Amino acid sequence: MRPWVDAEGLVWAGAKSSVTGDVLVLTLRLRDPKGHAEVRGGRFVLATGAIRPVQIDGAEVTLRAPWGSAIESFGGAPVVPRLGARPYDWLAGGRVSQKLGIKAIVGISYIQRREGGEISDHEMGADAAFAAARWLDVASFAAYDLTSPGLTDARVSAASRFDAFRVEVFGSELSPGRLLPATSLFSVLGDFPSQTVGGTIKWLAAPRLDLLASGAGQDVGGALGSNGWIRATLRLDDRGDRNLGLELRRVDVSTAEWTGVRGVTALPLGRGFRFSTEIEVVVPDHPSGRGVAWPWGLCAVAYRRSGWEAAAAVEASSTPEHLYEANALARLSRSWAMP
Amino acid sequence: MKLSLTFIVIAALALAACAGVLGLRPRDSSHPFEHRAHATHGVNCVDCHQGVASAGDVEPLHLPSDATCVGCHAKPHDQHSCLGCHGTADAREGARLARQHLRFEHRAHQTATHGDCVRCHEAVAEEHPDTLRPKMATCFSCHEHQDQWPLRTCDSCHKNLAAEDTPPVSHLVHDSDWLREHGVRAAGARDLCASCHSERSCAGCHGVGTVPALPARLAFDQVPLSGLHRAGFVARHSMEARADPGLCTTCHSQNSCQGCHDNNHIGQSAGSRSPHPQGWITTGAGGGDHGMQARIDPTSCAGCHGGAGEQLCVGCHRVGGPGGSPHGPGFRSERNKTHDLPCRLCHGVGP
Repeated sequence: MRPWVDAEGLVWAGAKSSVTGDVLVLTLRLRDPKGHAEVRGGRFVLATGAIRPVQIDGAEVTLRAPWGSAIESFGGAPVVPRLGARPYDWLAGGRVSQKLGIKAIVGISYIQRREGGEISDHEMGADAAFAAARWLDVASFAAYDLTSPGLTDARVSAASRFDAFRVEVFGSELSPGRLLPATSLFSVLGDFPSQTVGGTIKWLAAPRLDLLASGAGQDVGGALGSNGWIRATLRLDDRGDRNLGLELRRVDVSTAEWTGVRGVTALPLGRGFRFSTEIEVVVPDHPSGRGVAWPWGLCAVAYRRSGWEAAAAVEASSTPEHLYEANALARLSRSWAMP
Repeated sequence: MKLSLTFIVIAALALAACAGVLGLRPRDSSHPFEHRAHATHGVNCVDCHQGVASAGDVEPLHLPSDATCVGCHAKPHDQHSCLGCHGTADAREGARLARQHLRFEHRAHQTATHGDCVRCHEAVAEEHPDTLRPKMATCFSCHEHQDQWPLRTCDSCHKNLAAEDTPPVSHLVHDSDWLREHGVRAAGARDLCASCHSERSCAGCHGVGTVPALPARLAFDQVPLSGLHRAGFVARHSMEARADPGLCTTCHSQNSCQGCHDNNHIGQSAGSRSPHPQGWITTGAGGGDHGMQARIDPTSCAGCHGGAGEQLCVGCHRVGGPGGSPHGPGFRSERNKTHDLPCRLCHGVGP
């Protein structure tokens, strides 16, 4: 709108068993045109540092210094869908960060969240990211629970790019019990954190062919497991409007063992029409009488013209719940852009 | 030996047949304009791009027309437009978009570059460059913008980054397994993300409870392979949840399972089968498998037994109850045992 103010709103309405709707985004942002200060208010997703994303009705103030320091402070109430009854819930916190040149940034964050007046989340976090060289960048964060002292969620990722390859190595530790609100009985069991270590490699095998492979090992409560997938995408034109994709996936964790294959096709038909298909077959190792394979398929046609977009699809599947299931899907949308 | 030779020949023929599909052999007759050939023959840039040296921010693009070409090439080799083959539509569209979205004046750069176009358009020296538009890194070789990086004020060059709706591929690429990677990358770089993405980019997925439908469900006609809830996710969601304990809880509340199952009348009908295997709860020492599984993934338990359902656990595990202490080894808490939730459910004095 102006260099010092902008606003964004996204409201939707629809019909299921009854007419429904909600406000997804409604924000007003005031900012110093030079970027030293910013105030954001309304309904938005709060996500900064090691704080897990949460949608709130509230406000956030950010102050930035030219030497790279920044202070963020926020507060508000977690969103209750569709103007539902609002209990005495609120959250508040902040983050302090410092950029080290253009190579690195470190930050410390804090959040306290209350449900019905009682503390449900009380965490400190730290995050750090640095681009050690043009070919290596690393990012990480860790959140520490102050209610039941221990690591809640920690992740690290190091990526490198050279020639036609991009390689990433990642690791994480997740404490499911500490992710639950501290008011939940299941948060006090003393859980087994799950640790994951893995890597992903992308290879631009040909100008129009991408190959991607990923694999990870997991330790869940002393039970070792693994998962991995291979994905190929073939673009049939330079822009990638027409493409074919194939993915093979295997998950082998003690209580979840399955193999899946998925294929996709996207083909523009001309005159604004576009055709796409997606097919998946999942084969569980232990079907337990719920079908030896769970196939799923979808065929869709979309049409786009001068801001209007219409799409229709037929979806069919066989799931653990239903031997046969078919659905018809339709979407009509119109977008406007303000100059 | 003969078999190997046959195999090699077949493989070579197959690769040749696929070369066009893989992009190894372009089928389009257009090709990047021969800037290098013109430059080495002494043609100055402004001979064709007339007026560009004094161009401001709003003038036309100063791309040459057929008339400019025939000024030198008096006898064109056919009757088609020169630009149909010499120069690609992509390059011209890129130049148009750059004019639309960027603030830039050629005339303001004449003094610093001494009129040397190649100082910025360095790709002119390449045989087949995709585009001659300078990369952002070239801009930064003079314009360091050190004070604007921390403040994330890009509007000195970019008119409206969010409206560009274009990934800045020259310095940020969202490829590989970006869905898994984006969280840790965004942790310290929210400002950077916000340079291009508006609020709805996050809310479309993380606005759990207020989104009209899952992103993959809403965009059912767009079929990328990546995506958290793509394809037949509903059929395999319980296995996906078990494969990564706690992952669902990073976005969904503990009531999400119960709410969805209630809406779809799952597990409510008379005679519904218990999802727990035999030996889940026993009366002997150890109490069966449920304790171990609850520690591996307490979020799954909370999905069905959260809220009022917690009383099911309290019945056995309250202080003095037959279930004994449910806390794992090394459990610590800063909460008041007799006053705070959930401690008071078991440790409280009286009901």
